Amino acid sequence: MYTLTGVTKLYQKGRRTVPAVRDLDLVISGGEWLAVQGRTGHGKSTLLNLLGGLDRPTQGTIELDGTNLGALRETQLTALRAHKIGFIFQTFNLIPTLSAAENVEAALIPLGTGHADRQAQIAAALDSVGLSDRAAHLPTELSGGQQQRVAIARALVKEPNVLLADEPTGNLDEDTRDDIIALLERLWRERGLTLVLVTHDSAIARRAQRVGVMSKGRLTIGQDSRPGPRPDSHSLTTTYDPAT
Amino acid sequence: MFFATYLRRELRRRMRQAIFVAVGLAVGIGLVVTVSSASAGVKKSEASALSSLYGVGTDVTVTGPAPGFVPPSSSRQPPKGSTEITGGPNGAEICQNGKCENAAGKTIQKMAPQYLPIKSADVADVARLHDVSAAAGGLLLTESTITFPKNFGQPGGSALPTPSTLSVDGVDIEHLALGPLSSGTITSGHSFTAADSGADVAVVDSGYATGNNLKVGSTITIDKVKFTVIGIVRQSQASSPDDVYIPLAVAQALKAGPSDSAETDEVNMIYVTAASAADIPAVQKEIAKLLPHATVTTAASLASEVTGSVTTVAKLVNDLGKWLAVLVLIAAFAVASLLTMAAVARRVAEFGTLKALGWRTRRIVAQVLGESVAMGIAGAAVGVGLGFAGAAIINKIAPKLSETVPTSSGAFSAQTQTVAGPGGVSHTSGPGASSHLIYVPLHPSITAGVIVLAVVLAVAGGLLAGSFGSWRIARLRPVDALSRVA
Repeated sequence: MYTLTGVTKLYQKGRRTVPAVRDLDLVISGGEWLAVQGRTGHGKSTLLNLLGGLDRPTQGTIELDGTNLGALRETQLTALRAHKIGFIFQTFNLIPTLSAAENVEAALIPLGTGHADRQAQIAAALDSVGLSDRAAHLPTELSGGQQQRVAIARALVKEPNVLLADEPTGNLDEDTRDDIIALLERLWRERGLTLVLVTHDSAIARRAQRVGVMSKGRLTIGQDSRPGPRPDSHSLTTTYDPAT
Repeated sequence: MFFATYLRRELRRRMRQAIFVAVGLAVGIGLVVTVSSASAGVKKSEASALSSLYGVGTDVTVTGPAPGFVPPSSSRQPPKGSTEITGGPNGAEICQNGKCENAAGKTIQKMAPQYLPIKSADVADVARLHDVSAAAGGLLLTESTITFPKNFGQPGGSALPTPSTLSVDGVDIEHLALGPLSSGTITSGHSFTAADSGADVAVVDSGYATGNNLKVGSTITIDKVKFTVIGIVRQSQASSPDDVYIPLAVAQALKAGPSDSAETDEVNMIYVTAASAADIPAVQKEIAKLLPHATVTTAASLASEVTGSVTTVAKLVNDLGKWLAVLVLIAAFAVASLLTMAAVARRVAEFGTLKALGWRTRRIVAQVLGESVAMGIAGAAVGVGLGFAGAAIINKIAPKLSETVPTSSGAFSAQTQTVAGPGGVSHTSGPGASSHLIYVPLHPSITAGVIVLAVVLAVAGGLLAGSFGSWRIARLRPVDALSRVA
């Protein structure tokens, strides 16, 4: 699915040049679940933005199914995101004036789907996250967990190949966090998605097939690579500790 | 559907701001509508007044020269044709046509033309000019009546009284579509027919008829001749119409009098229709060349001589009013633009998310522009309403405007000269030039064009306001926008 070769991303902060990602080589297979851990400011979200075409590398190439993302024009990247890539954000990023169903619909607008088909897809998406009875509710009328479920439905309604999740449980309580991760895991398994999930929670990271650690812009993939998620995963309270 | 829903919800979210922007645009647009309607009303009033002075269908008017002022004579006998009034120890004396008599307690009635004559042959010559499609003659007369008090002219006695006048217009019955009756409406009876060309019949102005209790069938006396009223005509309120209209041939006979048959075919007005509006200046020049002593006017040249409060108001509306409306609109556009940019700034994360979902920049821009245009259209709707209200208020409270048009007067004019001579004070009066005041009602009118202008301004204002925000969106990098959320 993804092939990253010598990817570097530099940011200018005044006179300083800050390397967010340094010389990164990575292959992510189709249908794989990769978790990326690391401390704040070490490049996790930058990596996700590069994978999603929201940003361009300063050096190196990122290929998605053989297409070099850095060579695409902005409109082509936008079309790619519309069809193939779903995003889930830490703060849910729902449109506050739109209902749950309308937020999900927002992801289908760029695809030009007909009204009847859109409504059917929206209903199916909300059903898959268990929120069929909340379709008409505004984000302010939903709990944090429900909002993130809506965001997941929005990300998956267009049946993307790739799902990029940036700290999807960062703003949720423990129980809700487990529910959301369980939901993501189920959907990943059912749909054969390629899931890249950024988290600072080791317990969540361990549920993935592979775990990488970003440290000062460099990615280190864990020695253990599991063929699938651990079947007996439980909710854990530990967070990532760089010393371990 | 999604577009409209998103637009509606967003405007509801920032309702106060949307109302503020819409009201600002409404005030600007309302001012534009009010000023435009007032301007249209003033132009209409001016045109109505001028067309009444002119008559519908009349493009060029030719008048004979104004009768000259006759100075007081040094001898006891005044020149023929003038009237001299003197007062002395023997009382008031009137001298006319070489004869003097005691005027105390006497009533003098005199019929005189308002302009010097133009030959009928000149009317035919004008009609034959290249770009002239029709020409008709007219004869404007004034019957003046003055009653002298018994002590007039004596030391401590009464001053020269103001004469009462009756304006009589001799109308060419064969060309009723030209001239003074063409712009009037017969409200009772009928107008002249071909059979009336030599008859002692009259059509009377409605205002004069009401003031003198006249109706169809009544009899009026003009220069000792009895006329039967066959019709009442209502002229435009803006004009100062003549009191009585009689057939031209009959007017010519009245003017000539029994002793001067050589003058029975003279007129003192010619009403001319040009072949087209573009020919009017050329026709004016040709007639001026043909009749060098006559005064040749068009609506345009008459308009330039008109003074009075209507021209002042026209200037006020066109200059001050329009600039005020423009300034208010600019301020409204500026406020709308600033508020839209502020709203876009607050929604940067939202737009970043939409870009992450695969929304193209132009779709997001269309959404923002749609919101701005919706506010603009709401402003236009309210603004047109405000404009109608403004026009209604002007209609209700605006005083009648006045126009002063230069004309000449009848036999006894306000222009008098007082000289001291042997035997006491001498007054001499003669026909001279003066102006008359006509009142012009102001009726502001809102045309479809003004409403279209309001909508165009609203849409333009909305697009302008939205364009600043749209420019910001177009430059927005999704990754920068999304980083605002964290």
